[in-house]
Amino acid sequence: MTAGPLAPAYRLDCADPVLALALRTWLDESRLEWPGPFAIHASVVDALPEAADPREAFPQPELLIQAGPPDGTVRIRWMPGLAEAVVHATEPRVSVRFTPGAVADLEAAERGFLLVMLLFVLRRIGWYHVHGAALVDPAGRGWMLVGNSRTGKSTTTALLASRGWAVGTDDIAFLRDQGARVGVHGFRSPIALRQGGRELLGAAGGIDLTRRGKTGYLPEELGGRWAPVVVPEIILFPVVGERTGLAPMAPRAVLSALVQWSLWVLFESVHAQEHLDLLGRLAAQSRCYQATVGPDLFRDPTLLQDLLP
Amino acid sequence: MSERLRRHPDMRLTALAGEGVVLHLGSRRYFTVNETGLVILTELENPRTFDELVSAVLEEFEVERHEAEATTRAFLTQCRDAAVVLEAAE
Repeated sequence: MTAGPLAPAYRLDCADPVLALALRTWLDESRLEWPGPFAIHASVVDALPEAADPREAFPQPELLIQAGPPDGTVRIRWMPGLAEAVVHATEPRVSVRFTPGAVADLEAAERGFLLVMLLFVLRRIGWYHVHGAALVDPAGRGWMLVGNSRTGKSTTTALLASRGWAVGTDDIAFLRDQGARVGVHGFRSPIALRQGGRELLGAAGGIDLTRRGKTGYLPEELGGRWAPVVVPEIILFPVVGERTGLAPMAPRAVLSALVQWSLWVLFESVHAQEHLDLLGRLAAQSRCYQATVGPDLFRDPTLLQDLLP
Repeated sequence: MSERLRRHPDMRLTALAGEGVVLHLGSRRYFTVNETGLVILTELENPRTFDELVSAVLEEFEVERHEAEATTRAFLTQCRDAAVVLEAAE
């Protein structure tokens, strides 16, 4: 009997056992079915050298990102000087250096730094990040809730999970071309609720996400299940309001909103068109609405389905 | 106007139901375009003169020539300001 080809997987090269274990755990617990092989070279250094990269830095919360010509790499610095990643210009590999301070605060590094590093690596193998939740309703329809934090995305996701919906992710979604459709692969992590969201749901227990000031729940803990892949048919762009409602959106408003919440489309000319086309196809395969999420949804969680034209 | 215009190499465009969104990767800005703008930018995949763009608008929409010229001129001004359209090299 001959062995078949190995499933695509990442290669982690890290001499520091604590860091290696943390990185491997973080990657494996995402339960992502990686679209192809990629490589991470990680090391611990006493201090990072002064940045000599002359490219304009794009500031993000806690991050400085440099991308584009002349060498095409993506340099991501976690401020203030805690860690730095350099993603190869074309290949799915990254070299990342951590200071001891970063190693000591890996929970913060995961969302503030490593996730951004990972999404630039995955762009090189055809996955494109959108800041959104992905769910499947009891009728088997795929939904996305796309938008920033504090728009009710995670609380609504948790509510729907408690009514038996399957959840791919509450905010880390990767788009992938699946031929005729665009699919969403969800990074499995606890649905992160603030205290107000917990009270609305009446949720007890959960995982203490101290640094984020939130409490996390896996979908199964709320009565739902996990969905590794969601094919969206309905996209909502939620805002919190007095009363739940859906309003149709003009096509260009949909495109603009998707670009807004898939910001990395504006980086790296080599991947931009593919990324943008996926956003366009995602919109084309979906019914899209501006959604107001109000307290009435918590009294009647079927409202979103009922309001669909 | 006989100069030929083209898209800036940093421009990216996608469409949905006759409307579109345009990215400029150099400035990391984006904006939306209506049906007329989409026709013009689609035409500019290859270098075009102003008159050729007006003809494309007239083929697509039932408007008077002077309206098509005014709309095309205004849109091109916006595109030049946003650096998504340039004069093509001869």
